[in-house]
Amino acid sequence: MTSIPFHRLLLVETRKIFDTRSGKVLTAVLVALTVASVVGRGLVAGPRLFTLTGTAGIGFGILLPVLAVLSVTGEWSHRTALTTFTLEPRRTRVLAAKFLPPLAVAVVATVFALLVAVPATAVVAAVRHVPADWTVPPLALPGMAATFVLLTAMGSAFGLLSLNAPVAIVVCLTNTMLWSVVSRLGETGRVLAEWFDLGNATGPLATGTMTGGDAVRLATSVLLWIALPAALGALRVSRAEIR
Amino acid sequence: MIEFSHVSKVYRGVRALDDVSFTVEPGGVTGFLGPNGAGKSTALRVLVGLSRPTSGSATVYGLPYGGLGNPGTRVGVLLDAGALHPGRSGREVLRLGATTLGLPKARVGEILDLVGLTGQEARRPVGGYSLGMRQRLGIGHALLGRPGTLVLDEPANGLDPQGIRWLRELLRHLADSGCAVLLSSHLIHEVEQIADHVVMIGRGRVLAQGSVDGLGGGRSLEEVFLNLTSDTDRSAA
Repeated sequence: MTSIPFHRLLLVETRKIFDTRSGKVLTAVLVALTVASVVGRGLVAGPRLFTLTGTAGIGFGILLPVLAVLSVTGEWSHRTALTTFTLEPRRTRVLAAKFLPPLAVAVVATVFALLVAVPATAVVAAVRHVPADWTVPPLALPGMAATFVLLTAMGSAFGLLSLNAPVAIVVCLTNTMLWSVVSRLGETGRVLAEWFDLGNATGPLATGTMTGGDAVRLATSVLLWIALPAALGALRVSRAEIR
Repeated sequence: MIEFSHVSKVYRGVRALDDVSFTVEPGGVTGFLGPNGAGKSTALRVLVGLSRPTSGSATVYGLPYGGLGNPGTRVGVLLDAGALHPGRSGREVLRLGATTLGLPKARVGEILDLVGLTGQEARRPVGGYSLGMRQRLGIGHALLGRPGTLVLDEPANGLDPQGIRWLRELLRHLADSGCAVLLSSHLIHEVEQIADHVVMIGRGRVLAQGSVDGLGGGRSLEEVFLNLTSDTDRSAA
């Protein structure tokens, strides 16, 4: 019996991110915010490519996880899971197909930020008659993309665990805030944040200065905030009554 | 062909289905009739694998639904016409279904024509659709893969008299071409109009089954139904 090839599920789940009104609005906001923040920063901070590219990341850190949360939880808030899991009863395949597209969006968003930052840097340099600074640490851009991929994956994982958009979004946002408080609670807080805060652990990725110890700390955070909730969520969904 | 074999479902201490057995043969329309809360939707969810039975089994073409591979090409299913993302257009809902099933894009247009949704309506978000339009969209979605078996939960809800007539003629045509159709309803007249076999269910148990004409033995289907369901909850239907 021929089953549905995975690439078709992937195509369908990718379309679902962008084919609703809310999906289109969120995408438009993401694009507009990227352009506005890069150009705005360029006008204030001067023609420095790396700085301008990184500016777009401030919005990405919040919007990409939200996009991922909505992508997963939409099936439950609107009960379309009824149709989705009727067309493909092997639910974990659907979940895998849902998990991947937002990660690709995170990579595309990073490339897009760079594509906006290049002309912005050139134009600001030309208008102000100052030399442009094109230096970017070699591993910084892949590191930045990887950071957003991980934050997005955290959004998907919490979405999958809670199956509830508001809960998942609040957890994602407070997680970041909570750790920035903890990291200021003396030496113990700082060490805790180093090991268990995904935002903190991805820091060396974004600057392209990863050491062996950093990698172990990052793996710990990934396990705790991505792998564990995603696995628990997938287990729950595969056993749940879909109604 | 659909077969329920001694299906029971206990959910949170409540026996939602109790030893349900019946078959739906190709070439006919079987009405699954029962008051609200009788277990119709639960039975249909068990059939398509969204819910696991506590005991017994339900099969389509002799296989559990999950073993059908690309089930949408063999079994058309509409469980709840309201379960749609309000911000997605009707055309896009069909497009997603067609892509999943591996059908050409042209199939979407054919289905829109079949269920009587105009191109303009199909481009609008389904959040603005009437229940009748959602039913037509959902029935169209179920028919995308030209399935030989149809499972429809309360498909006539929200349809106007013209819509009910359209549904009756559509299902009659499908049954005549060899399709096995199972549709649930809590309305006797709908079942009388559309189905040729009926399975009556109340409190999770099959109360009676047979042909629409023969079941009453002279009495109307309504009399039989009200008699059998008089002691079940919410029998006002």
